[in-house]
Amino acid sequence: MFDLALLWETRELILQGLWNTVWICFLGCLVAVSLGLVLAALRLSSPRLFGYPVACYVELCRGTPLLVLLFLLYYGGPSIGLLLDAEIAGVTGIGLYGAGYFAEIYRGGFKSIPKGQLEAARMLGISPWHALTRIQIPQMLRLIVPPGTNQLIILVKESALISIISVDDLTKNATTIVNQTFNVIEPYLAVALLYWMIIELIARGGYALEKRLANRQPRHVVRQGESAHAHG
Amino acid sequence: MPMADAVTTPTTTPHQTHGEPIVEARGIGKSFGELEVLSDIDFRLEPSEVVCVIGPSGSGKSTLLRCLAFLEPYDHGSVYIDGQLLGYEERGGMRVRARESRVDAVRAPVGMVFQHFHLWPHRTALENVTEALRLVNGLSRRDAEAEGMAMLERVGLAERAGHFPESLSGGQKQRVAIARALAMQPRVMFFDEPTSALDPELVGEVLDVMKQLAHDGMTMAIVTHEMGFAAKVADRVVFMDQGRIIESGPPETLFRTPRSERLQQFLNTWRERHID
Ligand SMILES: Nc1ncnc2c1ncn2[C@@H]1O[C@H](COP(=O)(O)OP(=O)(O)OP(=O)(O)O)[C@@H](O)[C@H]1O
Ligand SMILES: [Mg+2]
Repeated sequence: MFDLALLWETRELILQGLWNTVWICFLGCLVAVSLGLVLAALRLSSPRLFGYPVACYVELCRGTPLLVLLFLLYYGGPSIGLLLDAEIAGVTGIGLYGAGYFAEIYRGGFKSIPKGQLEAARMLGISPWHALTRIQIPQMLRLIVPPGTNQLIILVKESALISIISVDDLTKNATTIVNQTFNVIEPYLAVALLYWMIIELIARGGYALEKRLANRQPRHVVRQGESAHAHG
Repeated sequence: MPMADAVTTPTTTPHQTHGEPIVEARGIGKSFGELEVLSDIDFRLEPSEVVCVIGPSGSGKSTLLRCLAFLEPYDHGSVYIDGQLLGYEERGGMRVRARESRVDAVRAPVGMVFQHFHLWPHRTALENVTEALRLVNGLSRRDAEAEGMAMLERVGLAERAGHFPESLSGGQKQRVAIARALAMQPRVMFFDEPTSALDPELVGEVLDVMKQLAHDGMTMAIVTHEMGFAAKVADRVVFMDQGRIIESGPPETLFRTPRSERLQQFLNTWRERHID
């Protein structure tokens, strides 16, 4: 039957795996989310200069399996003088790969903001930088929270691939336990549960963010006295 | 010729440049690819003048306003705002595109109101008005809100200050958009069909605000299909067709004794539509 004692005995390996998966995914997703935004903003601000390179980058990410990218970074890196720890290769791989997807998500968000809103801003003398940070990004964020959450979840699940380049993540350590104890079900089920918990956390975070970014209720900013000379 | 150094900052009072046009376009042309949308347009707006631009759909009215505001770069000719060339700079005898910041500085006296309002939906009515006051003029939140409330009062919407655009009617949205433009103290306002996207019963409230502005001496260029409004408020009406100005003059003259056949046709079509 299900052997809980076994999990208790191997808890250190499982926790170490959990910790590695969490920090590598966290940093990888951070790179993906921020590099993606930079790529999308570059493409948006100067399509002539950056449109093509960014589009190529996006296609490259979509056309290459994450595992191949990880192999290139970890095993191919040294031949061009790039010596990365397996963990750092994992962060870099997840980050670069995710950035391509995030760039597309952001672009979709930016594109759905009517151009006229930016023309209105320009006519008021609002700089392109302020238009980006105060008008485009806040609206875009709202639109991209659901697809962004989804993408983060996918990245966390795909992060299991870093076990193949010898990172001691959840998946690799579960396999280690299996090999040591010849019990297959317990370690993998425990690990599945832990992945699911991380993902549930991200999903909840996404919902909370979605709610927070929705329009606040109308505020009653009219103070007594100020409206005394209201227009008749 | 406008003098090269006739520099007027947006803070100059309107009367200092009396007699000089605020907006002057000379021989402007604009094509979209093969399609010539504006050809050889001359256009002047004197201080406190209200000019309505009329014409059939596709005649280039919006493009004219957009070129005068440099939202669309013109290909030929020159546009001067307060005597300063808009959108280009002369450098070593060559004309080059001006930097964005230079364009912003030259068109600072221009306020624009669009057919579809283009309010920012994630900002309240008041925040729509105060945004530029804070970002561009550097006002504190307090000062910007006081100024913003004053503008909303001017368009009769003070009590809607905390509402988001989605909970405002079309007429209210357009009035907020007018307040937003007014907050930057423009010396001239461009309106591109400000009432065309509105339900008929909401047109009046927007036209009333515009009438009040005209009454207060605001210089305005208005693209409109509201002939009644044009007849009452305009000092001059400009009729465009196929990218050219066909006729221009006081509304009485233009509406009563149109000289060109195209204007006669245009007015007849309009009458048929509005009398049945
Ligand atoms: N960005 C653009 N690209 C290509 N063609 C354009 C563009 N903007 C306008 N046009 C074309 O230029 C012509 C004039 O358009 P414009 O919008 O200035 O007309 P209008 O007089 O404002 O018409 P309406 O009364 O329908 O608003 C039209 O044939 C239009 O299709
Ligand atoms: Mg138009």
